[in-house]
Amino acid sequence: MGAYIVRRLLQAVPTVLGVALLTFLLFDAFGADPVRTALGNHATPEAMANLRHQWGLDQSLPLQFVDFLRQIVTFDYGRSFVTGEDLGTQIKAGALVSLSVTVPPFVFGGIVNVALALFIARHRDGIVDRASRVLFIAAMSVSALVYVLALQYLLAFKLDWFPINGYEGGWAAVKYLGLPWLIQLLLLMGPDIRLYRTLFLADINADYVRTARSKGAGEARVLFRHVLPNAWIPIITQNVTTIPFLILGSFLMERFFSIPGIGNLTIAALSRGDLPILKAVTVLGALALVLFNLLNDLLYAFADPRVRLS
Amino acid sequence: MNLPRCSLLAVAAAICSSLLYLPASAQEPSVLTVPRLAQFDSLDPQREFDQYSDQALRQLYSTLLTYAYLERPYKLEPDLLESMPALAADKVTYTFRLRKGVRFVDNPCFAGGKGRELTADDVIYTIRRYADANVNNRSFFAMEGAVVGLDAYRAATAKAGPTADLSKTDVAGLRKIDKYTFTIRLTHENPLFLYSLTMAPTAIMPVEAVQMYKDKLSVVAVGSGPFMATAPLDRNGTLHLVRNPTYYRVYPSVGAPGDAEKGLLKDAGKKLPLVDVLDMPLIEEMQPAALKFLRGELDRRELDRANFTKLVLRAPDGSLKLAAPYASQFDLRSSPGGNTVYITLNMRDPVLGKNKALRQALAAAIDPAAIINVLWNGRGIALQSLVPMDLAGSETDTAAPARKRDLAAARMLLADAGYPDGKGLPPLTMTFPTADADTRNEFDMVRAQFAAIGVQLIGTFDDVPAFTKSMDAGNFQMAYYSWYADYPDAEDFYQVLYGKNVAPGPNSGNFINAAYDRGYEASRYMVNGPRRYEIFKSLNAIIRDETPVIVARESLRVDTVQKWVGNYKRNIFTTEMQFLSVDMAMKKKGVQ
Repeated sequence: MGAYIVRRLLQAVPTVLGVALLTFLLFDAFGADPVRTALGNHATPEAMANLRHQWGLDQSLPLQFVDFLRQIVTFDYGRSFVTGEDLGTQIKAGALVSLSVTVPPFVFGGIVNVALALFIARHRDGIVDRASRVLFIAAMSVSALVYVLALQYLLAFKLDWFPINGYEGGWAAVKYLGLPWLIQLLLLMGPDIRLYRTLFLADINADYVRTARSKGAGEARVLFRHVLPNAWIPIITQNVTTIPFLILGSFLMERFFSIPGIGNLTIAALSRGDLPILKAVTVLGALALVLFNLLNDLLYAFADPRVRLS
Repeated sequence: MNLPRCSLLAVAAAICSSLLYLPASAQEPSVLTVPRLAQFDSLDPQREFDQYSDQALRQLYSTLLTYAYLERPYKLEPDLLESMPALAADKVTYTFRLRKGVRFVDNPCFAGGKGRELTADDVIYTIRRYADANVNNRSFFAMEGAVVGLDAYRAATAKAGPTADLSKTDVAGLRKIDKYTFTIRLTHENPLFLYSLTMAPTAIMPVEAVQMYKDKLSVVAVGSGPFMATAPLDRNGTLHLVRNPTYYRVYPSVGAPGDAEKGLLKDAGKKLPLVDVLDMPLIEEMQPAALKFLRGELDRRELDRANFTKLVLRAPDGSLKLAAPYASQFDLRSSPGGNTVYITLNMRDPVLGKNKALRQALAAAIDPAAIINVLWNGRGIALQSLVPMDLAGSETDTAAPARKRDLAAARMLLADAGYPDGKGLPPLTMTFPTADADTRNEFDMVRAQFAAIGVQLIGTFDDVPAFTKSMDAGNFQMAYYSWYADYPDAEDFYQVLYGKNVAPGPNSGNFINAAYDRGYEASRYMVNGPRRYEIFKSLNAIIRDETPVIVARESLRVDTVQKWVGNYKRNIFTTEMQFLSVDMAMKKKGVQ
């Protein structure tokens, strides 16, 4: 397995290099001039040259790219152009907040949605299945923004069950995160349950399940010992590849509920032309995706004994 | 953030002192809650130059001069100064006398944690720091070329780098006379210089704070403003500020006509600030801000288009009032936005640049009043000159003739331009800095107005960085622009057509006209009065004739204010927080 991991990591190097090059070209070579954006109407050639020098943008593009690669390797992304603060500290703080927004509905939603999908699959074409199909398809066709606006208005403003928005550190955060969690749970239900139901249905009438039933296995045993384990691989794939996006946060939730996570940090950086933050978040996102794809493959071996890592 | 342990003591002391300051009769501190619409960049005055940092800094630091809160047109008045600076007979040397007894807030950076008195040394230190190229990359333009020796000092700091100590390097234009008096010698007669002393980047900073906090000054404030922070401030969260017990200003006793009748002078002479606590939560989206305001969790909020339509009615005379039931719940305040929205025409464009009649035809076809009425629900003022209404030198002073849409004249001019009924004229392109629904609606209306004379219009919708790039490169034909006043002087608006300000300067359309430049230069440093206004008239005539821009409107800013908030009047050049009062008994009852 060790050799497999090393090989996969080496295979990831060109991917990360490609992402780094694309990110660099997108922001540094072809993007808008952050110096001009920062100085606005009062940009004089002297002020622009001075700021360009201070931000290291007066070096040649190859040198800037080499510096960017050094940042990726050392995980030292320098300082924000705009605030002058250390990016490592900002990203770490933002990532922790983003995880507090996204992980609880991801975990809780994962368990609930698998259970509900099993239940619905068990009653295929029954009233529950038909009703849920209509409900979830309708729910999935509504934009996430509508959920945010409607539930913020109804549950927070009208019914006063939650604060309208805001954030505090520590346990006090729970008070403010309740509504974003609920909205994310609702957003996950439709696509997750529809996917899991399809996966379970593919197995629920398979020969080995029929054999199990004919041998007298109870319905619970059939579902949990036979159907569920065989559906694990696509479920793992779907969930593990989602994890990097949990770290990157939920742009909508963070924006509308004033939560200081990575999502909000990124939007603020976009509007202010803060290239170091944008580059760091893009590359870290790509790195996380590569790593969690590797983890995904490793988990296959545990989920399915037939899978061999070689 | 790792701050010195003794800062905890200072925080405790600050809280105690602010609480001790509360009137004995007060049951609870009065709290004003006003949203911030975006993160601040830095609370280090000399490093920042963005409106959201400015908004926070003005609560925490003080400048030498400020603007009268109530008076219009906007007028300079002393802040840290005892009186307005005196100009010597040489017309270039100003003598400044500081108020005595102004203190920085208590902070561990001072000996014993006790804030010391602000003196002339602090002012000179601050101006030098403001000029330091290693510190200030954004706002030096305001003093560039103005003070004897300051540009050379800036060049020396740039050459020496951030670690060099140039504190012994003399700046000939800055002289301390005594503890409270100093002089600034200018390179030439320049009354506009005084405006730079109102800007937050020139707010007075104690050297002890710089030495102790260094980069952490982006979130730590050690000023002498109306409020103070009791902990490092979080740019992502709520700025929680308390009254500075040693603050020195009082509520003004002079206002604009009608202010007394509106109750804006009832607190005249009272010590500022009028509230004990100022909370400024970060709320970047419109819906949560609107909901929080409706529930009474915010005390003041500027209306966006959607909420304006829902909450506000327009009377036939154009006046605005709140619809029922909001009229009994909130107050409505509207004020000119201090900006000019205009279409700039690229004079280097082969179609527009050499065809004056075509430019004039386009100007005659545009109907700003219709755009204001139909698209902006009356939230705008159709301008007849480049200068917004509340500034000296506006159309009120220059009697700029009213311009109305004249389709017959537009068609004639179009024919004179060689394109009768638009025949033979290729579609024109207009570039916009945003792509939101409001912008697209505005484009649709302008397109329809041009279509009435046979001119076809294509819109390109950028984001701000891409728009700026296009403007700098001259890669546009026409562009929708909004210029916000940096200071309340007409010069700030006439400079957008000055020949030496071509792109990447503010003259994006690259208009060059010798007569205009002469008039601009003659009026630039002139004191406001009939002579200056005569020159402005001639500049307006050149603009009207040459049509390098089509002036559209000034935005009208409309705020909703809770009934329990007193003294609200928007002042676009400074902060109103210290002047606002809050009736806590009414606030506790909530929105009725």
